[in-house]
Amino acid sequence: MTDRFLTRLRALNRVVAVLIGIMLLACAGFVLLDIILRQLGSSFGGTDEVSGYVMAIATSWGMGYAMLELGHVRIDILRSRAGPKGRSLFDLASLMILAGTVSVIALRCWPVVERSITNMSRANTALETPLWLVQLPWFAGWVWFALMAWLTFVTALLMVLQGRFDASEAAIGVFAEEEAFQ
Amino acid sequence: MITYVSVGLLALLSLSIPVGIVLFLLGFGIDVFFSPFPLIKGLGQMVWSSSNSATLIAIPFFVLLGEILVRSGVAARTYEALDRWVSWLPGGLVHANVATSTMFSAISGSSVATAATVATVAMPQAERLGYDPKLFSGAIAAGGTLGIMIPPSINLIVYGFLTQSSIPQLFLAGLLPGILLALGFIVITVIICLIRPDLGGERRIFPLSQMLGALVHLLPIIFLFTMIIGTIYKGWATPTEAAAVGVAVAFVIAAFASGISFRMISDSLLGTIKVTSMIMLVVIGASFLNFTLSSAGLGRELKEFLEGLGLSPLAFILVVVMIYVVLGFFIETLSLMVVTIPIIVPLVVAQGYDPIWFGILMIVLIEMALITPPVGLNLYVVQGARKSGKMSDVMIGSIPFVCVMLLMAAALIAFPQLALYLPAALN
Repeated sequence: MTDRFLTRLRALNRVVAVLIGIMLLACAGFVLLDIILRQLGSSFGGTDEVSGYVMAIATSWGMGYAMLELGHVRIDILRSRAGPKGRSLFDLASLMILAGTVSVIALRCWPVVERSITNMSRANTALETPLWLVQLPWFAGWVWFALMAWLTFVTALLMVLQGRFDASEAAIGVFAEEEAFQ
Repeated sequence: MITYVSVGLLALLSLSIPVGIVLFLLGFGIDVFFSPFPLIKGLGQMVWSSSNSATLIAIPFFVLLGEILVRSGVAARTYEALDRWVSWLPGGLVHANVATSTMFSAISGSSVATAATVATVAMPQAERLGYDPKLFSGAIAAGGTLGIMIPPSINLIVYGFLTQSSIPQLFLAGLLPGILLALGFIVITVIICLIRPDLGGERRIFPLSQMLGALVHLLPIIFLFTMIIGTIYKGWATPTEAAAVGVAVAFVIAAFASGISFRMISDSLLGTIKVTSMIMLVVIGASFLNFTLSSAGLGRELKEFLEGLGLSPLAFILVVVMIYVVLGFFIETLSLMVVTIPIIVPLVVAQGYDPIWFGILMIVLIEMALITPPVGLNLYVVQGARKSGKMSDVMIGSIPFVCVMLLMAAALIAFPQLALYLPAALN
């Protein structure tokens, strides 16, 4: 059951990742058009601003996918010396700390959105974007990351309690080195 | 506070907590123990402002560009073409490894991506042609590190972002040292193979017609480089916008080379999101830590610490180099950069050094960290592509190239103009 749940989480986040990837592609296209327009003497204006928003939203929503694919870099010096049981304890502790920290981040991101809503703040730019419009999806991404982290933690905890250290290692271990990119 | 940060950093990292999360935790600690007012109230705003950045969107664009090129087979054809041109040198195909790495560095912002690309296409040739696995794989690991020196470079973008230096200037500054390093790698390979001809495999001379015919396969990379760098220095686009141009050109190249499929696009996007999120967690964590450190008065404390040491600027920079060489053995490189920039760069600048110059020196040291064990990502990437043989082969094979990098670092300290000439001349 745990395995199927984890497979579903991964599949779900893969869809999320492809969607934000498409958002990035659209943004690249938008920037490209603007460069061409500028050569012709006109411009959309505000590509910088839009790129910034896209980056903020893509970043927060991509975090959960990277976590499930073991993308976040961890230093393996002590952990690699432990046995399978020890390694799974390292992994569980590290994931719990991650989930806790990300929850704090998500909670602290809310006041930023709240302020923009109560003040109806607009960006200090030509577009005058209402900030909540872009900050709300950004905030939701951090909540999503926290949620994914806790769900993965509980799943892996169950695996370890069942004594399935291999499964836990595959779920929350350290990234496979040949796939590491920077 | 300096002791707290350094000890806390090493302790938390060794517990295998993700690097980005460690930076947040240290920031929380500074807030609790060292700050008179609650800094955590600023956390949300810091996370927003450090990711709402039009500069950093260059990172996913450059990563995506690399993903597309690898999946379209352009990499393999470039390698074959360069083989025709450089394999007459003592060392043969080893030079093709360095040359291909150099070319890919000019379109890739990442060292690991460069090493992975070259290793995938080069490794099958090594056994077939009887090369010494040590020198051959070491050359790929080392050549790949050029990815972050020769523009465009993700690490230089991050450096520019965190130190508020000009990214186009940093790109220009990295060009000459990057080319010198590549030449250095070629020279050391020739020297080694003149002393021990058995290491270099067979030298092969191709007929001129084949050499000229191969040139056509270099065109995609040259075209892409010209488009990216050209639009920046023509003033048509910022480095970020040039990255978007690069993505578009890469798509066009891929369409001609192998066609574009839905599968290829979605795989490239997934790879891009994974890498970008990994980098961004570290960058956002570092921004928050920077914020807490400077709010809690790190600047003053560092200045006092430094005056207490009473070092000359030269002695100081040598100490800094030592610190990076030692830390580089153990810490993953982007993390190493991001963690140390807020602490080290203000000190270096206070000693009267140019931040652009120091950015380049730091990149040389970071390149070294990429190929020094036990934590040297490029070593693992190359070993991963080899699929057989001992890890230690790659490590030993990298040693001559580490020496070249040390020489380069010394040259940069002795002749800062190596980095600063181009930015000044073209400004």
